[in-house]
Amino acid sequence: MDTLDGTEWDVLIVGTGLPQSLLALALSRSGKKILHIDENGYYGGTEAAFSLQEAEEWEKHIDEDVSAAAFSNISITKSESAVSETTPSLSFSRAYSLALSPQLIYARSTLLQYLVSSKVYRQLEFLAVGSWWVYSAESDNMDNGEPSISSESGPRHGRLLKVPNGREDVFQDQVLDFKAKRALMRFLRFITEYEEQMEMWEDHRTKAFPTFLSEQFKIPITLHAPLLALTLSPSVSSQTTTEYALPRIARHLRSIGLFGAGFGSVIPKWGGMSEITQVACRASAVGGGVYVLGKRLSCIDGPTSADNSEEETSGFRLRLNDGEAISAQHVVGELSRPPISSATCCKSITIVSSPLPPLFPPIAEDAPPPACAVVVFPSGSLPLDADEQAAELPPIYIFIHNSDAGECAAGQSVLYASTTLTGEKGFQLLKKAVRALLLSVDVTPAPNVLWTLQYEQHPRPLISLLALDPDERPLDLLTDLAFDDSVLDHVKGIWQQIMGDSAGDFLVFEDREANQGDDDE
Amino acid sequence: MADSGATAQPKPSSSVKLVLLGEAAVGKSSLVMRFVNNDFQENKEPTIGAAFLTQKCNLPTRTIKFEIWDTAGQERFASLAPMYYRNAQAALVVYDITKPSSLIKAQHWVAELQRQASPGIVIALVGNKYDLASPSSGDSAEDADAAPAAEGENPEEEEGADARRVPTKTAKAYADEESLLFFETSAKTGMNVAEVFTAIANAIPETSLKGPRGVGGQTNLGRQEDNRVNLVGGRTEGPKEGCAC
Ligand SMILES: Nc1nc2c(ncn2[C@@H]2O[C@H](COP(=O)(O)OP(=O)(O)OP(=O)(O)O)[C@@H](O)[C@H]2O)c(=O)[nH]1
Ligand SMILES: [Mg+2]
Repeated sequence: MDTLDGTEWDVLIVGTGLPQSLLALALSRSGKKILHIDENGYYGGTEAAFSLQEAEEWEKHIDEDVSAAAFSNISITKSESAVSETTPSLSFSRAYSLALSPQLIYARSTLLQYLVSSKVYRQLEFLAVGSWWVYSAESDNMDNGEPSISSESGPRHGRLLKVPNGREDVFQDQVLDFKAKRALMRFLRFITEYEEQMEMWEDHRTKAFPTFLSEQFKIPITLHAPLLALTLSPSVSSQTTTEYALPRIARHLRSIGLFGAGFGSVIPKWGGMSEITQVACRASAVGGGVYVLGKRLSCIDGPTSADNSEEETSGFRLRLNDGEAISAQHVVGELSRPPISSATCCKSITIVSSPLPPLFPPIAEDAPPPACAVVVFPSGSLPLDADEQAAELPPIYIFIHNSDAGECAAGQSVLYASTTLTGEKGFQLLKKAVRALLLSVDVTPAPNVLWTLQYEQHPRPLISLLALDPDERPLDLLTDLAFDDSVLDHVKGIWQQIMGDSAGDFLVFEDREANQGDDDE
Repeated sequence: MADSGATAQPKPSSSVKLVLLGEAAVGKSSLVMRFVNNDFQENKEPTIGAAFLTQKCNLPTRTIKFEIWDTAGQERFASLAPMYYRNAQAALVVYDITKPSSLIKAQHWVAELQRQASPGIVIALVGNKYDLASPSSGDSAEDADAAPAAEGENPEEEEGADARRVPTKTAKAYADEESLLFFETSAKTGMNVAEVFTAIANAIPETSLKGPRGVGGQTNLGRQEDNRVNLVGGRTEGPKEGCAC
């Protein structure tokens, strides 16, 4: 195989996670000589998607893996049953494409606009996120006549309440009383232009959001959970501030209807964000970018021009893991040995033997069928054990992807669960939540857990711009559950610095093909 | 054949992601160029990275839109191909009938695809540069300028002639063993090029055509493409700026 030794590049990009891949895409028509490497043998970095076999290899080799810094305590559990022919079982390894960092993409996200303007959306498929549900520990709600689902047989379990999907839903809701409805409608009207009504929330800015709901809008406690759910806040409710919650609820509500009736966010098919990273890298390769997997930046030897003046560095002398010395004008990417950081969340991926249809009611008449449902366990809704203060525990979020998402075999579904409680307790909490979810969905035969992967995730400085601005603060891509547009601002900033005056429009490209004349709306 | 200006009828249409793999200079890009533009270049420059093209193929009952990823045979670091065959429904693995080493390389690609790609992937093994095997003057004069659609004709007659180094029998036997489609083509004369793509289009199971790119084994019960969320056009608002339609 060829060596990279002695090669010179305009830009070295380290890591094929989402931000780096988007940068590679942005530079794909720049004429710059780009070397894009990844220490792993696969694409996607922390956004990777795995088949069963790949996941098992990942579990085994994570210690040798440098991305160990981003993940820890990985373990896989296979269900021991599945021997008889009638019991459902796992399909073959490649029927699965399990995403390590699944995210929702809101319809208003600039990511979607850039995928369109750069034309790479043609190679992607997006599916609708349907219903949002909030778990309630009470199997029977006190003041409504709604029959609870099958509480006769089996263990006592909670139930899932659907989050009203905008104002029409609230109007039609049979459960809410008139006063609650009015309060909620007032809040929903306010949130459409909360930016202009600073006086309403100024005083509550850094205070708990539930307090704001109670004091400012008299919204009954029972309605706090669904509103908090829409924030996707990682914190317990008392630590979720008003200034954090409002823009996120607004983002949710303002996105509904943009791409079709009744839904506001989408997921990429075939393994979540990993699909976007690969489409971006492919576009960069078509533009001449050179890709090398299993390659790491091991150290920076110094500036290329060994002359005295400090200001005008013309690049860097670098060394890769196999000892190859290369040089590059700009270096962007993950630090190869990031500082050890403690985990910020526990995640689990569970393959379930049922498509769980009750979680996927049709969204609206002319909307596409949903491929993802969201179930939120509000903070405090699941006690860990008797002597534990349930109220202290953070919420748990579970994204359920059905097989339309292309991540599991037909007739199954994948549950992506996460919580910011870390360590063994976090894993316990996730297990409890998955069990509670499956119990509260009324399907026959009862769904089985076929396979589970659990891991802790650590925050990681994802992009640092070594060559241009040593002061640049590395971006901490939070383990956010919805794509955060600030990632793109960051990538754009780096792109601008690399491109200088010849920057032009960010991520705006013509179709590459000459023979585009035929159709394609 | 493919994109003849036949009036657009509401025939069902599906996208098929196809990837070309094979040693450098066997004629991958030339095959694509013949298929897409019906053109040939004597001295085509090597592909860098990869190239993306599309072309339609009209079948009697449906239209297949090929999304073609043409990879670089001289890719130095063997890191790109996995991105291209990921979720591909079809692969065209090309060798050069005048170069036995290229068949070995092709067999490596087939093995890698069988190991790593979607299980339902349709693989065609293609021996290119057939024109170099046929004697410009000789017994089988009908072949001299390779009449299109070499149906029922037996290329083995040419064996031993001139530049051919890979007997048809050898490659065919291998293809049968691995259940691959098999063709000998010439990008130069156009022989069998359209046939390869048509055969692939016909070999893609209908189930995986509904939603494009079936992750193998999935039965996409009556799913239509409108499963997808359409990011452009149609909607009342549409994303504000950036939406270049
Ligand atoms: N005689 C003959 N020459 C061909 C044929 N197909 C391709 N060639 C020639 O073979 C050379 C290589 O063709 P390409 O199409 O660039 O090969 P490739 O497989 O795309 O090569 P890479 O991009 O480097 O992987 C060119 O000079 C072509 O003109 C053919 O059918 N017959
Ligand atoms: Mg080529």
